[in-house]
Amino acid sequence: MIAINIRRLGVYLLLSFAIVSVGLSYWQVVDAQALASRPDNPQVVQARRTALRGTIFDAQGKVLASTTVTDGLARRAYADPAFSHVIGYASLRFGTTALERAWDDILSGRADPNPLRDLVNDILARKPQPKDITLTIDQRLQDFAARQLGDRVGAVVALDPRTGAILAMTSTPTFDATPFSGDPGSAAGAMDEITSRKNNPLVDRARQGQYPPGSTMKVFTAAAALDAGVITPGTTFEDQPKQETDGFVVDGFRITEHDLSPVKPALWPLSEALQVSSNIFFAHVGLELGADDFLQYAKRFGFCEPAHIGSGSHALGVDPSYVTRPQDGDCSPFSDRVELASAAFGQAQVVATPVQMALIAAAIANDGTMPHPYVVRDARGHAAKPANGPSKTVLERYGSPGETRVVSSQTAREVRAAMVDAVEGKLGRLYAGAGDVSRYGVGGVHTAGKTGTAQRGEGQAPHSWFIGFAPGGENETPRIAVAVLVEGGGSGAGLAAPIGGRVMAEWLRLEGE
Amino acid sequence: MRLTWRSLELRMLLPLLVLVPLGFVLTHIAEVEKLDPGPLGLAIGYVAIMLGAHVVLTLSGHRGDQLLLPLVGTIGGIGLIMLNRLPQDLAGTSALGLSLGMAQTQLLWFGISVVAMLVVAIGLRDDGILRHYKYTWAAGGAALLAITFLFGTELYGARLWLNIGPVQFQPGEFIKIVLVIFIAGYLAENRALLSGASLRIGPVSVPPLPYLLPMLAIFVIVMLIVVVSKDLGTALLYFGIFLTMLFVATGRRSYVLIGLLLFVAGSFVAYELFNHVRLRVDVWLNPFADPSGAGYQTVHAIYAFGRGGLFGEGLGQGLLPGVGGNFPAIQTDFIFAAAAEELGLVGAFALLSLALLLVFRGLRIAMLAHDDFSAMLAVGLTISLGLQTLIIVAGNAKLIPLTGVTFPFVSYGGSSLLASFLVIGLLLSISHRSALSSGAGA
Repeated sequence: MIAINIRRLGVYLLLSFAIVSVGLSYWQVVDAQALASRPDNPQVVQARRTALRGTIFDAQGKVLASTTVTDGLARRAYADPAFSHVIGYASLRFGTTALERAWDDILSGRADPNPLRDLVNDILARKPQPKDITLTIDQRLQDFAARQLGDRVGAVVALDPRTGAILAMTSTPTFDATPFSGDPGSAAGAMDEITSRKNNPLVDRARQGQYPPGSTMKVFTAAAALDAGVITPGTTFEDQPKQETDGFVVDGFRITEHDLSPVKPALWPLSEALQVSSNIFFAHVGLELGADDFLQYAKRFGFCEPAHIGSGSHALGVDPSYVTRPQDGDCSPFSDRVELASAAFGQAQVVATPVQMALIAAAIANDGTMPHPYVVRDARGHAAKPANGPSKTVLERYGSPGETRVVSSQTAREVRAAMVDAVEGKLGRLYAGAGDVSRYGVGGVHTAGKTGTAQRGEGQAPHSWFIGFAPGGENETPRIAVAVLVEGGGSGAGLAAPIGGRVMAEWLRLEGE
Repeated sequence: MRLTWRSLELRMLLPLLVLVPLGFVLTHIAEVEKLDPGPLGLAIGYVAIMLGAHVVLTLSGHRGDQLLLPLVGTIGGIGLIMLNRLPQDLAGTSALGLSLGMAQTQLLWFGISVVAMLVVAIGLRDDGILRHYKYTWAAGGAALLAITFLFGTELYGARLWLNIGPVQFQPGEFIKIVLVIFIAGYLAENRALLSGASLRIGPVSVPPLPYLLPMLAIFVIVMLIVVVSKDLGTALLYFGIFLTMLFVATGRRSYVLIGLLLFVAGSFVAYELFNHVRLRVDVWLNPFADPSGAGYQTVHAIYAFGRGGLFGEGLGQGLLPGVGGNFPAIQTDFIFAAAAEELGLVGAFALLSLALLLVFRGLRIAMLAHDDFSAMLAVGLTISLGLQTLIIVAGNAKLIPLTGVTFPFVSYGGSSLLASFLVIGLLLSISHRSALSSGAGA
């Protein structure tokens, strides 16, 4: 009796061992190939430990990131913490981020920028040859922008409005990415140290910071309303002067003005309303435009979905900006007219990244056409001695990935004129005058701009914003558009505007050299 | 007593005495890339222990199974080779002016355990001490369990260690043996009385009360282990041992089924109520959700299997031991994954086949046993080794949630080795007695 049961038990055990063996065979044979290609597999990491990696140069050929192999370990050195967010890091312990991630195939040499050569290399199973890349960012401007931010928490984004080439993109506080690259053991310690600091330095505030844009949003509202034809530069709202003091009641909710002093309320058309940054005026404009058109223009300007710097598989992601509460990766409809009126002056549920706000400025600067931004200018053969500059062998050049017309050229001209007034006009000078490049030694050109003082919760200092471009005069061609954000920096006029003015002036000076 | 040559045992041992030292040397060469007498001490120690055990068994006229010693010698030898290949500072002893690395400590325990095995195999002349005092044994086991619950120290989130002075041991390994002795005694005694009778509640056939009560008692103990010790592997092992023995004693699959349902229901409740259980299960279902956190060990064990492929990366060439500096629990819970990486699917199958052979040998001893108690005891002891192997291998390979039980004879650890060799000692003693009473050598 027992003997039979034991024999049966033996069969069951044999079956169990067989099942386990099938499981093992799955991992060791069937799935082995797929497992071997996962990036955190130590096998892949091991191969990377000793792998050379392409150099990253700035627009002037200065080395920003380079790899040397010592003692069988590839160490990557990052020259300038002002670039830590845009370049990211290539770490054995933590993988890759930012440009190091987006351009990993080129930098590591696994892919060739030229699809035909790539195919040939693949067929011939050639060994990966690392390639170098050159950024559109000029280290001099990048460092200048980072110095302007100093110890403050914030971001500066500057681009060429004609092409979308990023000229500077920096976020503070920053960190040194070099310790992440070498030995995985010490990399973990460095990471712990950095994540324990306040104001998480790892966050790229330029691309990932979603802030209420405050009054800088009025540039968008003005452009959308002019383009839709619901206002002209001369449009006024007769109740507006009285509402500046008494408040504007929308569906039972009272929208009040910010402190306008020393300016006295008057019947303002667009230019003056933008100069003094009248919330009441833009609440009216927003309601005139209507919820549907507001949303439609917002989407045309790039709100409500993630943005990209560059294109295709090499694109650097930018977090989405929203004009209403996000819903399933899109903007939800406006909940009521109060929300719409408040969104028109950049409050309510509106959040935007500094990149998004810089692109709005660039679209106005570029005659109503928003350039698609990019930050990598070319890929080259690997220079054996990076310090001597990039190789002469340019494998592929990258230009603007495209552009989108967001408003008519007529509209862009009208908004531009109002933005110049906002910086240089009799009233505007009092608010955004500090953004004027002529204050920083660049004479003979006009500056267009708009400040923002974005309210947050009770008791929190507002975010300080500035967007603008220069030269901004009627017959001038803008060569730089900027967005500056200082977290909790108070009024836009106080902190962000002078930073924006200085950065633009510095670039015009550098370009003139 | 007439001397019998254990020639099968000797013939099986001889290749081992060459191959295992060769394994030490090869891994050492792979590591230091030159020939030096580094692992000589280990090689001599291993050969001395195995040959010594054979000689002692032979001289004592032991008639027990001749394949057990070569089998555990092979499995343990592979374990020692793997442990010698790992960083030696993962574990070790420094007592009595002696400073031993991990493999040396393991070999020391190997020697102590083999001596314990011989004492039991030769010294246990009859099983009365086991059979008649089964409640005493059970009480002792329960007391040990209670002490562990109260005073145990936690390691890797499970409370299964007891500190006695400088010595740290895992009572669970020994409670397992006591559990088998008790169940064997209980079932052997009640089997005759209970042949076939069963309670019926409606259409469901339920085991009669004398089966049902200990079944429930053990189920409660097992669930206590899950809750108090957070030791899922041991709980599964104990319950599995009990159900298997119940099946062998009664031949009723329905009892096993009811037991399994009970276990599944209990597990479900535990999943809902206890975070540590939920975490284990969630990690099991999707380790890649948190590959650098909770899923770390599972993900890297799977990678190791993948790298091993069919033929392995070669002894000493595996990456798993170096993952993240030192891979946690590589010398205990993940020794199989490490071996499968270096020896490949071929090596993994070899280890499993050896374990299966050992199990079949144990079942054969059970079948040849002359009384119910010996048979049940042999079945329980065998299944304790077999199930434990299955649980840890299946856990490594993500077939079941990962649990912290050791791979018998392979994982590092004195408690595990000593308990496993005690099991072999008991099996040898059972097969010796049945050989004596049937008058023929096995």
